Amino acid sequence: MDESNVVFRGTVNGLTIVMREEDSFEDILSVIEKKIASSGKFFKGAILDVKYRGKALSKEQEDKLFNLMKEKSGAEIKSLQEDKNEIPETEPEEPYENKVKLKVKNFFFKGIDEGVTKFYKGTVRSGQLIDFKGNVVVIGDVNPGGVIEAAGNVIVMGTLRGIVHAGCDGNREAVVVALNLQPTQLRIADLITRAPDDADADVRTEFIPEIAFIRDDMVYIERYL
Amino acid sequence: MSEVIVVTSGKGGVGKTTTTANIGTGLALNGKKVVLVDTDIGLRNLDVVMGLENRIVYDIVDVIEGTCRLKQALIKDKRYEGLFLLPAAQTRDKSAIKPQQMVKLCDELRKEFDYIIIDCPAGIEQGFKNAIAGADRAIVVATPEVSSVRDADRIIGLLEANDLRNPLLLVNRVRIDMVKRGDMMNIDDIIDILAIDLIGVVPDDEKIIESTNRGDPTILDEKSLAGQAFRNITRRIMGENVPLMQLETEDGFINKLKKLFGKKA
Repeated sequence: MDESNVVFRGTVNGLTIVMREEDSFEDILSVIEKKIASSGKFFKGAILDVKYRGKALSKEQEDKLFNLMKEKSGAEIKSLQEDKNEIPETEPEEPYENKVKLKVKNFFFKGIDEGVTKFYKGTVRSGQLIDFKGNVVVIGDVNPGGVIEAAGNVIVMGTLRGIVHAGCDGNREAVVVALNLQPTQLRIADLITRAPDDADADVRTEFIPEIAFIRDDMVYIERYL
Repeated sequence: MSEVIVVTSGKGGVGKTTTTANIGTGLALNGKKVVLVDTDIGLRNLDVVMGLENRIVYDIVDVIEGTCRLKQALIKDKRYEGLFLLPAAQTRDKSAIKPQQMVKLCDELRKEFDYIIIDCPAGIEQGFKNAIAGADRAIVVATPEVSSVRDADRIIGLLEANDLRNPLLLVNRVRIDMVKRGDMMNIDDIIDILAIDLIGVVPDDEKIIESTNRGDPTILDEKSLAGQAFRNITRRIMGENVPLMQLETEDGFINKLKKLFGKKA
């Protein structure tokens, strides 16, 4: 029997085996065995809730499948049951862009405590983009229309008026620090904030050093000195 | 039936962006669904004039390069339900988009909006070619200065060469007192040279600078003369027949000015 007649589908908390009603149980079982064998150590050490659908199995068949999974996959199978949820057979293919984002989530820049850093001396003017896979320190101002995109922290030793994105590949621990923090827009990882619309009255005369960070899915801005 | 209108001038600083913002707001004020498209990539201003700068996440280049969907890049205006802005990119340049891509984008926008107003960059190079590519109609902005009229004439020629027939003329920043003294070009003289239809005359008004800095279009200011002029222009765009505002009579204008100051004092 063709191997593509049985499909393993990873779900949030386990594995779903999709099989076809018209195939015999023995055929399905042998295909599953082959599939597990070809996946090598992929399942080893995993803890799985296994569900199946597409074909109704008797209690005895369920047990057989359960034992097969347990012995061959090397994973700890917590349960095996029929998937009763009516999910459409063909789930819509995720757009390419989202897949990339998901990957990015797992492999973001982690050197925010200790890591590669770019130092930029001078004013970042409108239309200039400082883009770096690490921390960025600007010794100078960032003007409106200027953009800083850093995978790590962003430190501005001056006034930050432009757009800043810290942890731009997904690190939510990243922070933005400026001697005078008045960004057009401030982003950390996947969160985007801006000043409220009625805030044009706060013309500051003195520098107030502030730090922006994420806590509980919100961007907080605090004075740190 | 939606319409794509490009606001252009050739010369810089004559008020293309201000005109775009005001006409767009005016159309939205009249219940139309409007999108303003900034094609001045690398020198974007329309977002600042509209007071929407801090909302920009994606821009026109992201849409064209497929980084985001069109809907994600459209910024909803903070005042009007039916008004949207498609901002330009700031860290790129005009070569980031091509005229054919602009045509496609305009056709996409046509499905959603009654009016698509395109803010054209100064000059006659790539940016201009992009801006006019998808347009049905053009508004040429000129100030009563020889250099501006000269550039407007060049632009009208280029528009006609690109099959944008019958562009409309908007004369901006007219100072009637100077015209009366003979120190500024007369509107009739300008029309004589350019030989196109006039869609409106906007007087020079300090209020424009105030409101531009604040990020509020002047058209919302009931007392402003320029605001009134833009309201009339908006109605003309929608096909109404509105007579030109009476700036011509010296008395009338000065009286209006007096009224303005009288109200304030």
